[in-house]
Amino acid sequence: MSALNQTPAAPLTATTDAERALAAGIAPRRWGSWYVAEHRLRGMKGYLPDAIFQSFGNPLIYLFALGVGLASLVPQGVGGVTYLQFVAPALMATAAMTIAANETSYPIMAGFKWNPIFFAMNAAPISPAQIVNGTMIQLAIRIVVTVAIYFGIIILFGAVPSPAGWLAIIAATLTGMAIGAAQASYTSTITEDKGQMAMLQRFAITPLFLFSGTFFPLEQLPLWLQPLGWASPLWHGTELGRVFSYGLEEPLWLTVTRVGYLVTLFAVGLWATHRHFARRLNK
Amino acid sequence: MTATTSTEHDFAPRRSALYAGNTRAVIHRGFLATRSTNGLVVLSGFFEPVFYLLSLGIGFGALVGTVQTSTGQEVPYAAFIAPALLAVSAMNGAVYDSTWNVFFKLNYSRLYHGMLATSLGPLDVALGEIFLALVRGAMYAVGFMVIMQVFGLNLAWTALLALPAVLLIAFGFASLGMAITSYMKTFNQMDWIAFIMLPMFLFSATFYPITVYPQAIQWVIQALPLWHGVELVRGLTTGALSSMMLVHVGYYLVMIAIGIVFTTSRLRALFLK
Repeated sequence: MSALNQTPAAPLTATTDAERALAAGIAPRRWGSWYVAEHRLRGMKGYLPDAIFQSFGNPLIYLFALGVGLASLVPQGVGGVTYLQFVAPALMATAAMTIAANETSYPIMAGFKWNPIFFAMNAAPISPAQIVNGTMIQLAIRIVVTVAIYFGIIILFGAVPSPAGWLAIIAATLTGMAIGAAQASYTSTITEDKGQMAMLQRFAITPLFLFSGTFFPLEQLPLWLQPLGWASPLWHGTELGRVFSYGLEEPLWLTVTRVGYLVTLFAVGLWATHRHFARRLNK
Repeated sequence: MTATTSTEHDFAPRRSALYAGNTRAVIHRGFLATRSTNGLVVLSGFFEPVFYLLSLGIGFGALVGTVQTSTGQEVPYAAFIAPALLAVSAMNGAVYDSTWNVFFKLNYSRLYHGMLATSLGPLDVALGEIFLALVRGAMYAVGFMVIMQVFGLNLAWTALLALPAVLLIAFGFASLGMAITSYMKTFNQMDWIAFIMLPMFLFSATFYPITVYPQAIQWVIQALPLWHGVELVRGLTTGALSSMMLVHVGYYLVMIAIGIVFTTSRLRALFLK
């Protein structure tokens, strides 16, 4: 009995349980986002070999299929560059989008629903905002790594004429983050899985891929389909990538607008995700 | 004494029976489940090939103009890829239904454990699941062919035969897919299926003629099932019939036979030990 009541070895400054709890909470409160990011990165261990293999395999397959195969149908190239050079930045941005769409779908729903780790984190001294930020940090790291690998392979294919081409990595990452934050804000509101993810994939992500001037300049589409591209973050990200990787000519204000659009989308998505997480976790 | 023997006699053939002649029950359950849970998702699958057709057929087609098919016919680019998209959607639908869907029922919802605990045999289950996949495939195919007709991409009356061809393709993939899924243990292994399908989707003369590739790569592609499907459907919608079509059809008939035997024996190995 008396042994149970004895206080275990405590930090020198703290004497009561409450004080010890507060002392132990200082670091997580300050660095919570990074703790969450670390947790989610470690969680990738289960599929790391697949993720790495796909980071190398997907670009090779797509570049070969499109750069060699489709290119044979367009021997004249597009807008003064070879078809491969035209399509490469688009494929990088698409890869970023794909990862963002995957990481912000079931992994986020699972955190609330099937393996409700977000509630556990929130019960510890980590705030909802930190959980969101940590998730976004992990997403950014995964995107940057994959896109950088993509870029390396594209260089090997000789498809980046401009010395400023590496900036396309940043453009692609920004595209992925903008789409990821937007999707996360939606996913975090889903309480019942009724196939919303499949619908999102089918009616948002796939059309973005197909109607964002990825395989051909957007102007090739009939006018009634073009607004899809104008609204598409993937289109803006892809065009940015083209500006950097081969010097696609466009007015400076347009380039700035594209960056602004992507940053705004990311900021709004992040803000909404913060709100949704806070509302759901602090219920 | 006699009673015991007769009971054993009744049970013995039933336990080892592969087929109870009641595939109907599996199919009925499938329809009910689809209607009550994911009917919208299933219906929406129709749009995927349509989006591809709109994007590539119209957008990329404007860059390309016409393309030569394997029989030497010059066709507009949209008419070149539309039959390929039809074959691809047959493959995708069948593979999705026979892999992810079956994987979930096998390992998570344990649906087959329940079914096989009744008088149903593995062949009932296999045929039932494959039939459901085919119905879904047929729905998409009919819808897509209407769209092809509207856009003027069916170049010959033989396009009508593309419908049974699509069912043949779906049957082949569904029966083999289910057999392969029975070996899968984790979700990550399922990702490998997608990783095999991606190159097949991109390289099987889907978006450009196979002649782009060196001879050796062409042989590899021609060994894969999707290429046969694409060539078969394209031949039918463009009206270029050739004796090669018999080879394509034969390929799928063999695939179906192997798939069904394989799936049934796997289900028996898994459940009726």
